[in-house]
Amino acid sequence: MTSAEQSLPDLLRGVRAELDAATPGDTATLARPRAKLAWIASMLPTQRGEARRLLDLAAEAASAIGTTLEGEQEHQRCLNAVRAAVGAAIEHLAAPEDLGGELLLIQAGQQLLRALGRDHQEWMRGMSRGDVTPHDTASEIIEGQPVPPLTLDDAAALLLMVEPSERAEMERIRHALEALTEDEREVPLVRTLAGDAVASIRRVLDDVSAAEDLVTDLAEVAQFVNLAVRARDDAAEWMSAGPQLAIPIGAVEGGFVPALRAPATAHQGVADALPEGDRELIADFVVECREYLESAEAALLKLEANPTDIEAINTVFRAFHTVKGTSGFLGLDVITTFAHEAESLFSRVRDGELPFAGRIPDLALRAADVVKALVETVDKALHGTPMTRPGTYDTVLEELARVAAGDMSTGAEAADGIAATPTAEAEEGPARPRLVQAPEQWRGEERRDQNSDSSIRVRTDRLDRLIDMVSELVIAHTMIAQDESVPQVGHHGLGRKVSHAGKIVRELHDLSLSMRMVPLKPTFQKMTRLVRDVAHNVGKEVEFITEGDETEIDRNMVDALSDPLVHMVRNAVDHGIETPDERIAAGKPRHGSVRLSAKHSGGSVLVELRDDGRGLDKDRIVVKAIEKGLIESAAKLADAEIFNLIFAPGFSTATQVTALSGRGVGMDVVRRNIESLRGLVTISSVPGEGTLFTLRLPLTLAVTDGMLVQVGPERYVIPTTSIHMSFRPERSALSTIAGCGEMVRLRDEVMPMFRLHKLFSVVGAQEDPCAALVVVVSIGSQRVALLVDALLGQQQVVAKSLGEGIGKIEGVSGGAILGDGRVGLILDVAELLVMLRRREAGPNQLRSVA
Amino acid sequence: MMRDVVGRSGTLLPIDLSTVQHPFEMSTATGAVPAESSLARRSGKFLTFFLAGEEYGLEILKVHEILGMLPITRIPRAPDFILGVINLRGKVIPIMDLRTRFLMPPSETAEPCIIVTQIQRVQIGIVVDQVSEVCNIAAGEVEDTPNFGADVHTEFLLGLAKQGGRVKLLLDIDRILDMKELASASEAAA
Repeated sequence: MTSAEQSLPDLLRGVRAELDAATPGDTATLARPRAKLAWIASMLPTQRGEARRLLDLAAEAASAIGTTLEGEQEHQRCLNAVRAAVGAAIEHLAAPEDLGGELLLIQAGQQLLRALGRDHQEWMRGMSRGDVTPHDTASEIIEGQPVPPLTLDDAAALLLMVEPSERAEMERIRHALEALTEDEREVPLVRTLAGDAVASIRRVLDDVSAAEDLVTDLAEVAQFVNLAVRARDDAAEWMSAGPQLAIPIGAVEGGFVPALRAPATAHQGVADALPEGDRELIADFVVECREYLESAEAALLKLEANPTDIEAINTVFRAFHTVKGTSGFLGLDVITTFAHEAESLFSRVRDGELPFAGRIPDLALRAADVVKALVETVDKALHGTPMTRPGTYDTVLEELARVAAGDMSTGAEAADGIAATPTAEAEEGPARPRLVQAPEQWRGEERRDQNSDSSIRVRTDRLDRLIDMVSELVIAHTMIAQDESVPQVGHHGLGRKVSHAGKIVRELHDLSLSMRMVPLKPTFQKMTRLVRDVAHNVGKEVEFITEGDETEIDRNMVDALSDPLVHMVRNAVDHGIETPDERIAAGKPRHGSVRLSAKHSGGSVLVELRDDGRGLDKDRIVVKAIEKGLIESAAKLADAEIFNLIFAPGFSTATQVTALSGRGVGMDVVRRNIESLRGLVTISSVPGEGTLFTLRLPLTLAVTDGMLVQVGPERYVIPTTSIHMSFRPERSALSTIAGCGEMVRLRDEVMPMFRLHKLFSVVGAQEDPCAALVVVVSIGSQRVALLVDALLGQQQVVAKSLGEGIGKIEGVSGGAILGDGRVGLILDVAELLVMLRRREAGPNQLRSVA
Repeated sequence: MMRDVVGRSGTLLPIDLSTVQHPFEMSTATGAVPAESSLARRSGKFLTFFLAGEEYGLEILKVHEILGMLPITRIPRAPDFILGVINLRGKVIPIMDLRTRFLMPPSETAEPCIIVTQIQRVQIGIVVDQVSEVCNIAAGEVEDTPNFGADVHTEFLLGLAKQGGRVKLLLDIDRILDMKELASASEAAA
């Protein structure tokens, strides 16, 4: 079948929806479906001649309504005939070889002819194949006599048309599916899926489902059946691919588990290759899956606190369900198989067959992890890396199957026994909104709902460009506003207009900057999971509270913030919080608490991590630091300075080995990461009461808080976060070493001083340090003084690359458009220090820690 | 390699037109054999401009726009032919002084201008004395750059176009702006 041909039933379904909406009195509503019918008919290949003739006739009948036909009754009759014809065509096209479909065609054709007031025998005369004896068989169906059992394809086609109220049809489908589950010749996966479909269809038939669930359940049945069709086709393909890929049906033992795994295992080599398909679709799938899995994970964590939260169970179910559906559609069989298992597990939890307790919560989270990992490999596969399966794939899959199969022996009763779980139903009933019954309408509505809360993805480079242009607009507007002709007498109106435009420009600017912002919620959610896992592993009881997760932060910051947060949160649980016994001994509640909060504060974001654990052990830190040679004595150090010692590189590992209470692991990494975000991290801690980490981060990476400094005729921007202080040195504070290295003394500290103008060969700068200014910059614990002419003021600047046409310039991290539209260079202080140290190249004159 | 050549060479041009002959031999020392692609690039529309009294041509497809002089921010520790960067409507792009690049004396003209070239996604501005015109150059009007031996280096040229009694030097802008050469030049300067 060609793909165009495959899409025809879908097109026809669209036509049927239009026909359903059409009224015979209004011929205008019929114009579109009529045109479509004629068009579809013309698309049909010659071997579908009967369907083509039927659709042509239907189009003719549609145009007859309101023209040649008269009388309301006639119109209605004709319209009904058209609808029936379209339905018949759909069925026939979905399963062209099926006799039932063909008979429907004949019936519909005759009905149409009668509606048009023509001889219904005309249809038979026009038939190309005279040898069929349709009359008898047709009457057989009409009289409700035994019909031939449906094939899987028939069932799939019929399901698309059947309404929940059409019980006879539903029964027919059920029989067909049941027969299929028992058919030894079928592929195990197909049989399993058919079994699932039977379970769902029973729910519909037994009136177990609430009225509004019928539609969903029916859709579920259809999905199972479609998956089964797919599985069967795939199996046929593997079979024909060669004996080594043949599915070991005979070797299957124990039924369910190996049966389900068989196709995946046998098919490994093929299944793990990225299927041919629209790469864009797959990319969308990846993004979509990530969102679904994120919400599933959040719901799972919610479920742990409240295992009867129906809403959360449904969220998880929906997530796996959607992942399964979409991956099936895209041919990502590895994911489909897995998601199917996870979904079945949750469908049982949802139906109250399994309590969300025991191993299930953990298993579910692990399953979510596996699917996540699978989705990531798909993403990687898009970029050329071959797809791999996460190592836990098989074990988790097996476990899922085992849990599901645990009472699979009593499968039939379990399925029937759903009715006997009134609690679940009672809770489920009111929780769900009442929905319309017609499936098409319902689906349409769902789609619209999604749209109302929708967003579009925009490429970040476009967004950046937009922000650039708006920034330029601000500068351009400032230039106009400051033009001397604007405030002139007699131009009062102009001034007002200019300031009005200014307001708009500023608002536009704010808006453009806010477009890059995303809430911290997903990041915080990740932490929730982390706390749970770590606490589980180390045997601690921790309550994790998040606050202000709606706080927004630059998209680029989110990823960069995640790593340090992971370190800190893990430390807080692992080292900060005591074991339950220790806590009780200390007179504290058994449960430790870790609180992660975020808020905006003065143009930056404050992220706080507070625990009520044992606090940092100051004395041990001091001892350790002296041992390491970081300090000589703690006499002059404030608490905060002592705590800061744990950020020193190499400090952490040593403390960990001695099992000091301090949170060692990777704290230097934390600080480095935060500083690379131009943020600041501070610690305060009270022994026995807990520790508070405060991260102060800029709202966005794109905007740097900078100090504009003057050096001769040039201006440079120094990031404010690296500026320690600035002062004008006294003559007595200056000294030189060996006649060249200049030093400046700030209170008790002597630090090297470098003249920025020398380093950058600027002509015309202030040469006398006592007439100039010294800016003390620091990276980590290193401090140096830079000599500049003057400070011009603090300013927020947007950092930009110097353009690809020019290589990396040492000591300069980028350019910024200054208020007058010129470019100012932003200094890279860390790199500057490296340069300076290299220049020194002599005995180390820095008080170096590294 | 290339940087050495530029660094030590004498003037690239001018060329005494009376001595121009058409030896097809190329200098093997510099390896300046025009590639197939550069031969193909030698006809079409060119933007011509003046530099120290000589008229140069630049493929029009590589020209993004022409600007008047803008305030340039010097970049410390960059090669001397990189004058600095400008703000091109919110985008920071580097500016190259073509005279310095060709080791010509600094310009005395009052109104130099910037031609912003765009090669793939990279934009670089080049400063020239004066923009002249856009002209059509047919393949038949173009001749290979003659060999001047080791003293005059012609690897930045696609060829010479003779039109209306004037000679236009067709620049191989890709090579002038070659990032590798720029990078090695930066290293040399640092």
